[in-house]
Amino acid sequence: MNLTRLQTIIQRELLEIRKNRLLLFTIFLPPLLLAFLPIGLFAAMGGQMGNTNMNADQIARYYSLSPAFKDFSPNELMQLIVFQQFLVLYLVMPLIIPMTVAAFSIIGEKDAHSLEPLLATPIRTGELLLGKAIAAVVPAVLATWLAYAIFIVGGRVVALSDRVFAGLLNPMWLVAMIALTPLLSLLSVSIGVMISSRVNDTRVAQQIGGMLVIPAVVLGLAQTAGFILLNAFTFIAGSLIVALIDAGLLYLATQVFQREKILTQWK
Amino acid sequence: MIETHGLTKHFNGNHAVEDLDLQVKQGEIFAFLGPNGAGKTTTVRMLACLIAPTRGEARVAGYTVGGESDAIRAHIGILTESPGLYEKLSARQNLDFFARLYGLSNSARDDAVKKHLEMLGLWERRDEAVGGFSKGMKQKLAIARALLHDPKVVFLDEPTSALDPEAAKIVRDFIAELKSEGHTIFLCTHNLDEADRLADRIGVMKQRLIQVDTPENLRRKLYGRRVVVRTRAVNDALIAALKTLAFVKSVEREDSRVSIALDDPDAMTPAVVRALVQAGAEIQSVGEEKHSLEEVYLNLVGNHQT
Repeated sequence: MNLTRLQTIIQRELLEIRKNRLLLFTIFLPPLLLAFLPIGLFAAMGGQMGNTNMNADQIARYYSLSPAFKDFSPNELMQLIVFQQFLVLYLVMPLIIPMTVAAFSIIGEKDAHSLEPLLATPIRTGELLLGKAIAAVVPAVLATWLAYAIFIVGGRVVALSDRVFAGLLNPMWLVAMIALTPLLSLLSVSIGVMISSRVNDTRVAQQIGGMLVIPAVVLGLAQTAGFILLNAFTFIAGSLIVALIDAGLLYLATQVFQREKILTQWK
Repeated sequence: MIETHGLTKHFNGNHAVEDLDLQVKQGEIFAFLGPNGAGKTTTVRMLACLIAPTRGEARVAGYTVGGESDAIRAHIGILTESPGLYEKLSARQNLDFFARLYGLSNSARDDAVKKHLEMLGLWERRDEAVGGFSKGMKQKLAIARALLHDPKVVFLDEPTSALDPEAAKIVRDFIAELKSEGHTIFLCTHNLDEADRLADRIGVMKQRLIQVDTPENLRRKLYGRRVVVRTRAVNDALIAALKTLAFVKSVEREDSRVSIALDDPDAMTPAVVRALVQAGAEIQSVGEEKHSLEEVYLNLVGNHQT
């Protein structure tokens, strides 16, 4: 692995993303909306969570998931649950945001006829794919972190109590944001790059990549329904598993990259 | 500098290139001609280590295709059919990106980028996004990209296809200059006039290599050498006088024009002229008949069955 070539690929990809204002807009807008939306919502509700639409069983399930919740009022519990639903979205974002960039990574080069001169340089497949993956991860992670920071600062203002804010600022979520977000983003991107090098239509690549969010959505729904509570163990174990999957996927991506097929058969 | 033995490429049963034996010397401009689908681009891709041969061997710049692909890529430059530039980046950013991939140091990179942009008349537009360039400017930039790292072998696929006559001349002069600097140039083109003007040798390809030689030798092989004499009038006496000359291989008569096949026109033309004058001919012009490369090419490709 030649780090100079890897860095060169990353810089060029980031430069192109930076010059594409529409793409930047689509990368940063959804996370920012998801940061401002709940804060605005809570501010408008003025501390009353209203009809929670939760039955007694659901509330009981949440109480049973953590002893700390025993002292929470239903309003506090509801606000924390809603906060946590939005926090789950911050795990979904790094899966969704970079998919467009990743899905376009190889097909885009082929469409622009720039892949052949690029592959004629001494660059290796691993350097090219890893460079493209990192370049797709960086803006997605930055956008997620920015939105998370706004969400936390806004959360401080609208939280019903210090213990709700403490629940929001739970260190396990910080770990999740710092470790799991980039790893999830890399997972999404690795699959996106792999798809991009196997199908010759950007739309198909994006559609296949879109299915990636299903496990994260299932996770979110499970928590909403009170079946699971994401905790430190979930995140640490999840991070380790995702890191292993990432390494495996990146290796697999280099193995399934068929430069000959891409150059000669894709039209 | 380029050497292939039995180089073959099949795609799903389609024989793109078959048993290609070729040698291109250092500092030579080798023009590779052939109809669309003849296997020219496939050959270049194999030599540039972009695709693997089905069988056969090849060496480029002293390295073996397949075994030493990284070394080959570092020593070749390639201009592909389409310029393939990053349109949102400027001309300078495009070249800088490739110069980095080729491992040029910071100072060497700046120098190479400036030198090539200036040489191809793009320096003033260096910071503009390539997407706004004309086809010709893009083509010139793609040529600059192929040459940034001073490659030993340069593969040029249709280098002047998108250029206006003035820009095409600049590129042709540039190619000639590259040769004078010792670069080996492998030129794929449909522009036969360009091949005729630039190439030391020409290879005509149609899945298999049909012929390889200098443009002049290809003409001679197909048409021999003939001297054409124009006179005020051609009569039987003039034809008879020519036929008395032992070295005259054949004579063809057409209106006021006589075409005479000779082995060595340089040495034999004076004797031909003397014989015609003695027979009463009023000669208006004498010159060697020259067939265009187009005639040669069409003859070779048309007569070749794959």
